[in-house]
Amino acid sequence: MQISYRPGNGLLYRLHPMVKGAIAFSAIVFFSINSLGLAMMSATVAVMLLGCRFSDVDLTEIFMSVRRILLLLVIVGLIQGLGADGFSVTAAGAAMMRILGVFLVAGVYVTVSSQSELTFFWEVCFRPLGLIGLPARELALIMVIAVRFFPVILGEIDRIRMAQVARGAKLDSGGLLASATALMPLMIPTLTQSIIRAGELALAMEARGYRVTEQRTRYQRFKFSIIDFFAVLIPVLLFALLLKPFFDSAF
Amino acid sequence: MFDKLELKNLTVRYGSHVLLKELCGSFSRGHINLIVGRAGSGKSTLLRVLAGFHKEYDGSIEADGANFEPSGNISLAFQNPEALFFNGTVEDEVGYALKMRKLNRSEIEPVARAWLQKWGLNPERCWNNHPLELSGGEKRRLALAACTIFMPPVVLLDEPLAGLDAKGQRALAELLAGMTSEHIVIVVTHEPEILLEQSGSLLFLHSIGSRWLKPAEFLRESLIDRNFFPLPEWYCNAVGQFAQSSDLPPIRAEAVYRFIKSRECKHADQL
Amino acid sequence: MIVFDQVSFWYNDRSETSFKLKEVSFSLEKGCVNGVIGGNGSGKSTVARLMVGLMPVNSGCVRVLDKDPYQQLLHSGFLAGIIFQNPENQIVGATVEEDLAFGLENLGLSHAEMHCRIIETATRFGLGNMLREPVANLSGGQKQLLCIASVMVMEPAWVIFDEPTSHLDPWSRLEFWKIIDEFVHHHGLGVVIVSQLAEDLNRFDKILGFSNGNMLFQGSRSEFRQAGESLHTCFNYPESWKFEQLMVSEHV
Repeated sequence: MQISYRPGNGLLYRLHPMVKGAIAFSAIVFFSINSLGLAMMSATVAVMLLGCRFSDVDLTEIFMSVRRILLLLVIVGLIQGLGADGFSVTAAGAAMMRILGVFLVAGVYVTVSSQSELTFFWEVCFRPLGLIGLPARELALIMVIAVRFFPVILGEIDRIRMAQVARGAKLDSGGLLASATALMPLMIPTLTQSIIRAGELALAMEARGYRVTEQRTRYQRFKFSIIDFFAVLIPVLLFALLLKPFFDSAF
Repeated sequence: MFDKLELKNLTVRYGSHVLLKELCGSFSRGHINLIVGRAGSGKSTLLRVLAGFHKEYDGSIEADGANFEPSGNISLAFQNPEALFFNGTVEDEVGYALKMRKLNRSEIEPVARAWLQKWGLNPERCWNNHPLELSGGEKRRLALAACTIFMPPVVLLDEPLAGLDAKGQRALAELLAGMTSEHIVIVVTHEPEILLEQSGSLLFLHSIGSRWLKPAEFLRESLIDRNFFPLPEWYCNAVGQFAQSSDLPPIRAEAVYRFIKSRECKHADQL
Repeated sequence: MIVFDQVSFWYNDRSETSFKLKEVSFSLEKGCVNGVIGGNGSGKSTVARLMVGLMPVNSGCVRVLDKDPYQQLLHSGFLAGIIFQNPENQIVGATVEEDLAFGLENLGLSHAEMHCRIIETATRFGLGNMLREPVANLSGGQKQLLCIASVMVMEPAWVIFDEPTSHLDPWSRLEFWKIIDEFVHHHGLGVVIVSQLAEDLNRFDKILGFSNGNMLFQGSRSEFRQAGESLHTCFNYPESWKFEQLMVSEHV
């Protein structure tokens, strides 16, 4: 029931990663901040899902994952709905729609973007930090390596857990306060193994010519196409809608 | 202490995939039990099932006739068990399992010292050292000592000899053989040659069908069919002609030499 | 050719205990399988790393194809590649394609050149239809192939393997030696294999033996076999040679 990248060839897939990221980012901000009514919110979500349907995005996985946030939706709905004049269904509905919208946008974004596209987007976003000395491409490489090793480390934690439990370690006892010391048999070996692994990986990277200061060329290339030209209108529109209240009050 | 760990119609699944079908057989005390197979044949999963961490299986596991409860009765050591160290001294590391079983310090100390000696580590020298200060072979033995100090009836080891040099492997093989009198020792390995001499049974896992073999049977099968298991060339050349005989020598130069000599003498006597 | 001339290597202060290599000299040629043997701490891994140029020598000089590998690696040249023992800790990219591209990006190649080399190398190692496959889905054997491919894609003149077979099952070991045979005899690649497995001695045409930072032996396999008892005790002696000796001695 994991939302992860599903390779495909639809419209959404062919967009440039920067455009995808811009759409996702602006949509999430839009859903979070804007105070359109319930009807408008639902309409926006519907339009978004329709767009996905036309791009061959498989929505079943995402819908199945909505179950995970059902409890959150209900709680938020109740809290937002209870106002001074009793329970307002529209207020509850609008709040739930907003959270659902954020969730669906994020889910679709992750489904249509491969890992390299995601890291490219973040690398470009990190670039302004280069002005204060932070290396964008290296930060992106750190992210790539961290994500690539994630399943490896999970597997290792599992093996360590089994061996330590067999020795008699009680890894889940004691409640909140005691659990820090109880987890030592799990955390320390994981940490030492990660440090050893980092050293070995760094050596292997250097042996393949990696130098932080040298110029590296880029294999991944993303092209702007005509679709991107039109797709860019979406975040522009969303931001305009966001800023509309400010314009209204200014004039 | 158990005498036998029996598998009854054990079918192990991993997700929707069936790894092992209707496995029947037993692991005994008194000799090393080997599990051999190619990568992906289900060796590690079988260990997890025996240890009680993998629950997707049908069939049963029995110890001396009664249902086997893994919790507290097994020790499980994966490849490079030195990765498990998390205490500051050898004393704390080896005694951890007993500490978790609510023994106090004065009770643990003599047991820990004796146990370290049994595993070839000198407690006088390393009692207060940090575990990572020991040499490669010593770290391996400390890790295995720490996993077994609470005398579990069943000891499960995944590639215990991997990464050691030849001397270290021989030393460890002897220690493992020494353990078999009091524990059921089950070893997963892709180098059965080293432990074959001290083993009494070998479970060969294969997707088509797993087989339980005696060491001599295993050698015989491998001599007849090179694809079954690749034995060293020199051994196949030397012993190949005797493949049909009931006993075969271990994969050591001296033993093979004596075997061939005795066969030649027998043949000469018969002529 | 790889040439070591009076090479010494030590860490920090030049005390007796921190010497990893003491005035070692040897030369290695392409066209044969070169083996470096010795126990833990003998200096064999240090030799491998100096060949690749991961560290500068403290005294003496190392030449690979008449160039200094350390300076070459520092400035994005590439003479000798190295493949370490654990494939998991050498793979950088999230997909096969990304990992193959990593080394080429470091060399500063153009996109067209990178693409060409990646396709060619991937096909050569049987990974041609797995380019977009996440590394997490590869089997152990495939990961090792990827490690080898990621170094080969950079077109090194020499390839060093640091204990390549110790964690492989016997079937994979046979596959590995087939690849080495192909490298040495059909592709003209210089190959050095660092190993402590006794059985590997049978595969080496030329042997360098190290112990405690000193090179105890340099010569061909047959010269090693005929060397004295005292030398053999320092290294792991293959069972096959022991057996042959026993069989030979009875005829004497």
